[in-house]
Amino acid sequence: MSLKKTISSLKLPHYKSTAGMAAVRMAVPKEVLLPMNMHSGQAAEPVVEAGQHVTVGQLIAREEGRNSAPVHASVSGTVKAIEPYAVGGRKTTAIRIESDGKMEKCPDLKIPAPTNLDEFLQCVRESGVVGLGGAAFPVWAKLAAAQKSHIQTVLINGAECEPFITSDHRVMLEHGDLIEKGIALLKQFLGSEEYIIGIEKNKPDAIEALTERFRDDPAVKVMPLDSVYPQGAKQVLLYNATGKVVGPGQRLASLGVIIINVTSLVKTAEYFTTGMPLVERIVTVEGSAVKEPKNLIVPIGCSIRDLVEACGGLKEEPGKIIYGGAMMGKTVDTLDASVLKATNAVVIMNRRDAEKTKASPCIHCGRCVAVCPLGLNPTAFARAMELEDEAARAALLQKEQVSLCMECGCCSYVCPAHRPLAENNSAARRFIRGWETAQKEKAKEGGK
Amino acid sequence: MDNKPVMAAGPHIHSADSSRRIMLDVILALLPASIAAVVLFGPRAAAMICVCVAAAVVSEFLFNLIAKREQSVGDLSAVVTGLLLALNLSTGVPLWQCALGSVFAIVLVKCAFGGMGHNFANPAITARVFLLMAFTSTVAGGAAPRMVDAVSSATPLGLIGTEGAALPTLGQMFLGLRGGAVGEGCILALLVGFGYLLVRRVISWQIPVIFMGTVFVCFLVSSGSFTVALYELLAGGLVLGAVFMATDYTTTPITAEGRMLFALGCGLITFVIRRFCALPEGVSYSILCMNILAPWLEKWTRRKPLGGV
Repeated sequence: MSLKKTISSLKLPHYKSTAGMAAVRMAVPKEVLLPMNMHSGQAAEPVVEAGQHVTVGQLIAREEGRNSAPVHASVSGTVKAIEPYAVGGRKTTAIRIESDGKMEKCPDLKIPAPTNLDEFLQCVRESGVVGLGGAAFPVWAKLAAAQKSHIQTVLINGAECEPFITSDHRVMLEHGDLIEKGIALLKQFLGSEEYIIGIEKNKPDAIEALTERFRDDPAVKVMPLDSVYPQGAKQVLLYNATGKVVGPGQRLASLGVIIINVTSLVKTAEYFTTGMPLVERIVTVEGSAVKEPKNLIVPIGCSIRDLVEACGGLKEEPGKIIYGGAMMGKTVDTLDASVLKATNAVVIMNRRDAEKTKASPCIHCGRCVAVCPLGLNPTAFARAMELEDEAARAALLQKEQVSLCMECGCCSYVCPAHRPLAENNSAARRFIRGWETAQKEKAKEGGK
Repeated sequence: MDNKPVMAAGPHIHSADSSRRIMLDVILALLPASIAAVVLFGPRAAAMICVCVAAAVVSEFLFNLIAKREQSVGDLSAVVTGLLLALNLSTGVPLWQCALGSVFAIVLVKCAFGGMGHNFANPAITARVFLLMAFTSTVAGGAAPRMVDAVSSATPLGLIGTEGAALPTLGQMFLGLRGGAVGEGCILALLVGFGYLLVRRVISWQIPVIFMGTVFVCFLVSSGSFTVALYELLAGGLVLGAVFMATDYTTTPITAEGRMLFALGCGLITFVIRRFCALPEGVSYSILCMNILAPWLEKWTRRKPLGGV
C-alpha cells in the first residue's frame, strides 16, 4: 500500500446524544405542507387540485424541467390548498394536505421491475428520491452518469461528520438489509466493481454491523474514517477513500466514481422493495431548546412544530432553528416550516446558544488557512471583497480560486476574531458567479 | 426586541477561542520570564514592566479616543506589546525612555497602520530598535543582575571570541545570571512559557525551533565548537525573540511553509549579523528584516488547493 496522506481538518464536538436512540414513528400530523422545491433543480408542477382526495404515495406534483423531482402525498386526506410558500427565503408554491389520520396507501403503487439501466433510471426518477444528506440533487440524475461512462466505484457516504445529526447513523444500524438491496441494484444495473461505505469512527456499531453484513462480499468495503469535519464533503471523502481528486470543472463521474448518501441509497432500495416512493424519512431533532431530543420517522411536509411536540415540546424559547447540522445548516425563523426531503436534522438552539459574538479585527493567526480542508486562504477572499474595483476584486478571487470553496464553515469555526469568514466566502462565490456570467455576455455582445 | 428566532449563516457553533484569550495566554506565558526578571534585576525591572505596560495601554486608549476609533485596549494586545518591550530592555534604560518606547510601538507602529492585525512590523521590536538608535549608550549597555559580580556584567555576546574574558558558565547562562535585557536571560523561564504556548496551541513549534536551530547549526559549522554554538543559543535575545517575537501572527506569513522559511531567514540573518557585523542586535534586526519580507514569503508559499490549479 502506498503512503497516502489523508485530509484531516477539524475535530469538532459531536453533540450526538441521539446516536443510541432508535428511530420512532411520530403520530400522524393533522396536516402536511409540501413545497415544490425540495430538490436542487427546478420546482415540481402540482397535478392535484384543492378539494381532491389523495392517498399515501400518490403523485401530487410532477417533475418539471432540469434536475427536478416529483412529489408524492405523504399522508392520506384532502388537498386543502395550493398556496405560496416562502420560508427561509425559499419562494415557491406548496401543497397543503389535511390528513384523515388513516394513512391509507395509494392503491396504484406497484413494485417496479426494471430490466435494463434506462428502465432502472426511469424508476429511480419516479421514486422522487433526491440527495437526502442535504444536497437534494435528484438521485436518478446522479446515477444517469452511468449511461455515458462506466462507473467503477460507488462511494456510499455514511460519514455523517456534522455535529448533532445521527439520522444516517440510525439508518445504517436499522436498514442494513436495504443497503444490501441498494448495492445489489447498483451491481445489476450500473455494473460497478467497487462499493466503499465510508463511515466515521465515532459510529463503531454501524461499522461493525455493516462489516459483518458484507463479510462475504469482496466488492463491498466498509471503510472506517477519522471523525474529523468535513469528512463527508465530496472532495474530502473522495480523497480519503480513494486518493482521487476532482479537478476544476471536472465531474466526479469522469473519474469513474459516484458518491451517494447512505439514506438516499436506502430510500431508493425501499422503493424497489415496497413500491412506496419517498414520503417519509428519519429526522434527528436536537438542540439546547428541545426537551427530549429524538430520532423520528416522519412524513415529509410535516411542520417543525409537529417534531417539537413529538419531542416533549421546548424547554426554552427558540433562539435559532436550523435545518441540518450546526456547521452548514440553514436557518428558518418559524416553527411552521416544513420538513423537506433533505432535512436530515432539525436543531433548535436556545437564545444563549444562538447569540452571535461580535467580530474583531483579523489578527492574521493563520488558523483558517491551516484548517481549510482544500487549502484555500479565506483571508485573501476577505481582502478581495474589500476592494472597490470590481475587476480587481474578481481577478484576486479567481487567482485565489474561491469557486472551489464548499462553504463547510471550518474557517469561521476556528477564527479567534469571530470573523464571518464562511459567510464572506459565499458572498465572494456569488459575486464571482455573477461577474463571470456578465463577462461572458459582454464577450458575446462584442462578438456580434 | 424582536422575539423571532434569528436567521444567520452557518456555522452555528464556534470554538472557545478568542483573540483576547490568545493575548491572555501570551501574557501568562511571559509571566515566568517577568518573575525571573524581577528576581534577577530587582524592583527596577518591576518598575520597567509597569511603566512599559501602562504607557502602551494608555497611549492606545488615548489614540483611539482622539482618532475616534473603537476602543481596543480590551483585547490585551497593548499589554503584550508593553510587556515584551520591557523584557527586551536592560535596567540601564531610564524609565522615561521605556515609556517613550511603548508610545512609539503603539502609536506609530501599531495604531497608525490601522491597529491590531494591520502593522507590518512587530511593534515591540521596532520600538527596541528605535530606542537603540536614539539612545545607543543606555540601550546597548547591558546592566548586570543583582547577584552577579562586576566582572561578568558585560553582555556575553560581546565577549565571545575575546580570549581570556570571564564568561558566565553555561549553567549561569541558562538561569540568566548574566548581563543583558531583563527578560532575555532566564532561558528556563522562557522555555516554560514556550511549553505553555505549545500546550495552549497558541503557536506551533516550527518558528522557534527552526529559528534557534538555524543559529545553532550555523555557529556549530562555522566555529566547529559545540560550546560556542550553545553559548550563541543561550546568549542575547535569541530565545525570547524566537519564542515570543518571531511568532507574532500579524507580522509573519499566514502559511505554515511561509512561517518555516521566515524562521530560517531569521536564523541566517542573526548568524550573519552576530558573526560578521559589529552589531549586538542580531535577533531584533533579523526579525525586523523578515517582517518586511513576510508578505512575499506568503505569496511564494501559496499552496495548490485540493482540486484546484
